[in-house]
Amino acid sequence: MALARRRVSATAYSVTDPEPRGAAAFVAAWGSLLTGLGLTARRATGGKPATVRYPYERVVLSPRWRGALHLRGTIGRDEIPLLTESSDSYNGVIDGLYSARRLAPCTGGCPANVDARGQNYLIADDRSAEAYELVRSRNILPGVLGRICHRPCESACRRNYYDEPIAVRPLHRHAYELYQAVREERVHALPLAQDKRVAIVGSGPSGLAAAFDLMTAGYPVTMYEKNEKPGGALYTGVPAYRLPREVLHGEIDDLVRMGLDLRCGVEVGPDVAMEHLMGKYDAVLIAAGLQVSRILAIPGADAAGVRGALEFLREANLHHEAGVRDKRVLVVGGGNVAVDVARCALRLGATAVRLASLENTDEVPAHPWEVEEALDEGVVLTCSVGPEEVVESGGVVTGMRMRECLSVFDETGRFSPKFGERETEFPCDVVVFAIGQGAQLGGLVAGGDIEVDGRGNLVVNGAMFTTSHAGVFACGEVVTGPGSCIGSIATGHEAATSILRHLRGESIADGRIARPVPVYERYEKATLAGVETARRRIGMPMAPADERIIDFRPVELGLTSLESLVEAARCLRCQSGVCVGCEFCARTCPDYCIRVERTDDPGARCVTRYELDLTKCCFCGLCAEQCPTNTLEHTGQYELSFYHRDLAVWDKGEMLRDAGGTRATGRDGIESPACPTRRKDGRS
Amino acid sequence: MSGAAGLAWGVAGGLGAGSAIALAALFGVWWERKVSARIQMRFGPQQAGPFGLLQTLADTVKLVLKEDILPSRADPGPFLRAPLVVFVPIAVSLLAVPLSAGWAPLDTSVGALFFLAVPSVSVLGVLVGGWASGNTYATIGGLRGAAQMVSYEVPRTLSVLSMVVLAGSMRPVGMMAAWRWWWLPLTAVAFVVYIVSSIAEMNRGPFDIPEAESELVAGYFADYSGIRWAIFMMSEYGAILAASLFGAAVFLGGSHGVPGVAGFAILLTEAIAIVTLVMWVKWTFPRFRSDQLMALAWKVLTPMALVQLAVVGLVAAWL
Amino acid sequence: MAVDIESRTPVEDAEGRTVEELVVNIGPSHPSTHGVCRIIAHIDGEIVTRAEPVIGYLHRGIEKMCENRTYLQIVPLTDRLDYVGSMYANWAYCRAVERLASIRVPERAEYIRVITCELQRIASHMMAIGSSGADTGAFTMFVWAFDVRERVVELFEELCGARLTYSYVRPGGVARDLPDGWTDACRAVVDRLPAKIEEMDRLFFGNTIARGRLKGVGVLSADDAVAWGASGPTARGSGVDWDLRRDDPYSVYPRFDFDIPLGDAGDAYDRGRCRLWEAVESCRIITQALDQIEPGPVHAEGFPRLLAPRQGDAYDRIESARGTLGVFVASDGSTRPYRVKFRSPAFCNLALIGRLAPGHTISDLVVILGSLDPVFGEVDR
Repeated sequence: MALARRRVSATAYSVTDPEPRGAAAFVAAWGSLLTGLGLTARRATGGKPATVRYPYERVVLSPRWRGALHLRGTIGRDEIPLLTESSDSYNGVIDGLYSARRLAPCTGGCPANVDARGQNYLIADDRSAEAYELVRSRNILPGVLGRICHRPCESACRRNYYDEPIAVRPLHRHAYELYQAVREERVHALPLAQDKRVAIVGSGPSGLAAAFDLMTAGYPVTMYEKNEKPGGALYTGVPAYRLPREVLHGEIDDLVRMGLDLRCGVEVGPDVAMEHLMGKYDAVLIAAGLQVSRILAIPGADAAGVRGALEFLREANLHHEAGVRDKRVLVVGGGNVAVDVARCALRLGATAVRLASLENTDEVPAHPWEVEEALDEGVVLTCSVGPEEVVESGGVVTGMRMRECLSVFDETGRFSPKFGERETEFPCDVVVFAIGQGAQLGGLVAGGDIEVDGRGNLVVNGAMFTTSHAGVFACGEVVTGPGSCIGSIATGHEAATSILRHLRGESIADGRIARPVPVYERYEKATLAGVETARRRIGMPMAPADERIIDFRPVELGLTSLESLVEAARCLRCQSGVCVGCEFCARTCPDYCIRVERTDDPGARCVTRYELDLTKCCFCGLCAEQCPTNTLEHTGQYELSFYHRDLAVWDKGEMLRDAGGTRATGRDGIESPACPTRRKDGRS
Repeated sequence: MSGAAGLAWGVAGGLGAGSAIALAALFGVWWERKVSARIQMRFGPQQAGPFGLLQTLADTVKLVLKEDILPSRADPGPFLRAPLVVFVPIAVSLLAVPLSAGWAPLDTSVGALFFLAVPSVSVLGVLVGGWASGNTYATIGGLRGAAQMVSYEVPRTLSVLSMVVLAGSMRPVGMMAAWRWWWLPLTAVAFVVYIVSSIAEMNRGPFDIPEAESELVAGYFADYSGIRWAIFMMSEYGAILAASLFGAAVFLGGSHGVPGVAGFAILLTEAIAIVTLVMWVKWTFPRFRSDQLMALAWKVLTPMALVQLAVVGLVAAWL
Repeated sequence: MAVDIESRTPVEDAEGRTVEELVVNIGPSHPSTHGVCRIIAHIDGEIVTRAEPVIGYLHRGIEKMCENRTYLQIVPLTDRLDYVGSMYANWAYCRAVERLASIRVPERAEYIRVITCELQRIASHMMAIGSSGADTGAFTMFVWAFDVRERVVELFEELCGARLTYSYVRPGGVARDLPDGWTDACRAVVDRLPAKIEEMDRLFFGNTIARGRLKGVGVLSADDAVAWGASGPTARGSGVDWDLRRDDPYSVYPRFDFDIPLGDAGDAYDRGRCRLWEAVESCRIITQALDQIEPGPVHAEGFPRLLAPRQGDAYDRIESARGTLGVFVASDGSTRPYRVKFRSPAFCNLALIGRLAPGHTISDLVVILGSLDPVFGEVDR
């Protein structure tokens, strides 16, 4: 803050009024008495008194001054609103909630705006199948994302303020696992009644998301995948220890059962011409993803043993053999792909694996939990080094010379690394560059009139995901560049919206704005000292590091049903306007005048007791400020609304009363809602 | 007058004066509350009766019903009797005030002297009441009150003396009858001295140091409650009434020769004006300190009154 | 502290007679003690020979209570320190916590804090001036001052619902944004204020009786003021040119143009009149702040609700209506402070009564006490 915008100009002056002397004093004295009498006479005769004339006038309080502290709703009486809108109206709903400050931070923090709050609500209510389907409507692969998502929702989670965030991602996985039991009865072929058809190139997450949206709207979709199995980068790039293949293919199978026409092993370009698709289908969506790794053009980069990350991962994932057995591996890069490469290399028998990151320890772009798991497994992380030269001997890599990196970003935050003088040589046999990926669209667009820029990327409108050719759309990493899986899915939904409008003959551009992936600020973690175990996040059980590195077995073992229920019940239902009995108001109250009790039985979750002891309340309002759900609220001037204090303790019924107007005295028929309540659909 | 008739007259006069003071207090408290309220941007009493007129009556009922507390350290004899010692002289002095042209309840040739001298006895009540309370605040208040009331006798008497010299009589009825309009500018200083020293005599602000609530809580009557406290209050309003009526009669010409009820009404109007002035002063000014109060009496008011007396003496000789 | 007020020491007077000093126990329940102060005054006639303040009647152990509460829960406790100027204790505490936890406060919140605290200064000074009027028997002055105070308190009421204990300033900002129309209402109040203050100045500080009562009473030299740790208008009335808003600028005060009233004589009159003109200066600051304030957030985003600052301590001080109000917060890294200490100006200023009162009368004693403007919630804590 620029404190010294203006100089202090405070000068001192005297207030001492010297006494007159002699006759002047006599005159001044009597004069001051007359002045005083004149002043009082003027006040007495002029103007209206400042007080109230009884009984003709009464003190009238502005309605704004009357908002008593009250609850807008409680769980057990009120339902949590679920975000079940269809894809093309979903963004409008989100924007509306956001501007009304009613958007839960987890939903707002998610690129695809997955309703994590609703998921938690349903899981805590033991309605996992509904939770799964709720998540699937915005996140086409909940089981997959439940294992690999970088969980921006958890970073945004309001519970970070208090103790630890909700384990949203493990709950996705839990919902998926329970869904397997009812999958047969709940997955049906969708009625694809529309006569227009869509082709999607690529079966990655963004393509699948778009396909689901289009099929939900009734359009038949044909999907072309060049690999033998679908999944795109999830299949070729994500190692199986993070994502078991049966999960991925199980969920894609669900889509096929819904009516997706999936054609694997068909590469658009060589096998089927793009023109053919454009002629045959009413719309074509390019969701081809990124295929090639960037390799720095430094001396020795063409030596044997220098590899690109994507190629390395493809080999590792498809064949479980990448030629690194008993070799020393150096991975250049600090991102998540680099970490994946390093961990795969370990599993494929490398003797030593080193991650060489340009960024310093605090700036490493990979997610901290992934780095931590890699370090547990024995990967060595070397920070602040930049590649200088691949040391070769007879065309074979023997090491890597790296130069110390002083800073990566300049003052404006742009990528502009500054290097120091010190150089280090790391001996190794294989160097894997994981410093970025690029699209390989040559075959796809060859000969067509789809515009491609100088660097080989598609020219795409970032808000509408249209290409230069009408009826051809693009989404996923081919548009955004390397990014997160859930971010790709979000673009799939956007592209599907554009395609739907295109197919219906509506204006694609109408009301569309670029929706960048929101960046929610990172909260400083709340302290965990003194936080009871019951309030802590459920930890994810992990396979022991020395056991899991021998093969591609899953690292995360998953939660039990009970753990999931407890974890889902921790969710605060932010901004829902429904009290869940989280007790943070009671914990914040400096006078300990709030008492909250709740029951967490699935199907009968309820705030059984909410009492405000007015005899202790000091009206500071900290409780309402603290309330994560915005349930407890007042108008800021609520002390005045307490002018009838006949009820020393307000119970739940009184707290749920409408805050408008003056509080009546006595009970006057206000009843507490019964508790616990049964679920509305009759199940228990 | 024979003994029996005198006794009957005395009883009747005493009752009459007492009732008059009670009425004056009823009205005076209400009026004071209204005046102070307007100065302080308030409405004052407005619930009991029209314009809150019955507020004082309600307060009186409350005061009469309150417990009459005798502090354990108090000396019961003087403590219980002191309020009457304050009240009775003031009530008696009221009898000497002319109420209409040619009529005063007690019409004597030394009426002015009677009016000035008799209330001085209430100093004893203040002193005794303060002392007998056995309370430091009350003792200090009583001592302050005694010093103040004795001191202010001097300028007050001197200011009335100017009028006596002008009128050539000490009979209030005669002074009222002799009043001429040009006396007003001539005796303005005497009138001011009379008003100021009368306020000091009746322990009202800005001269209320014997009962200064911010210093001595309530001064000499700090330990009184209920009806005895009410008697102290009534004495104060009785003193206001007496001083205002006498001032109106002597300095402002009273009923201006109009006899009967009409004359009384004129007198009363003038008296109410003086009462209002007294209240206005109280609600405008801060309180004096005791040494400043003495300095005012002896260094300002007494010389002023003496100069006035000299001027009046010259004029009287020239008449 | 046990004080035996019956111990009347016999002393010899000027004429060789053995007399006893009268001991007057003023307070703890007395119209002019501004709370629950007790002053044991030894008097010789009306002259005070010794005055000894006895404090502790309002001790609630707030500093100790702070150790058992989270950082947020302490805010309402700070209201109860200086209950005539709750905003100051709120602010000083929040500043210390913000310093401890390295929280950056949004600019709008700083402006709101300045506006509310300057309003608070007006309200607090009106209370002080009004009660020094009441101490000298000028009750109308008291009511007029409270009329001004009432206007300010109504603004606070609209702001946070409370008229006395606001809890409005919170670590990281303020509790909520200004309500609609509040700035206009505030401007209206502030615009009318100087005329009212000028009227009060003529009614009371120009009145010959009041001048007689206040001038030359309780004269505090500038050296004594510094030596006894006096601050605020009490020190400035003695000519000590020290105001933290200028000399140790905090918040956005450097952006405002204001002057500092000082007294020459150091008596009760100068202290009272300093307060009166400080209220006018506060009006100037508020007007400028209302002109400069811009929309924005009013609470620092992104700090945890369960604040656990790093291990260490922080001290911050602000210029409250009574003087330098300092707050020291020590953290052991947990969610509750290890120690909170308030340096209250009223406590330091009250200590002067024993020095200023002897030689004056009982009537002056209450005037001197009033001119020091103690608030016992802050003295005793």
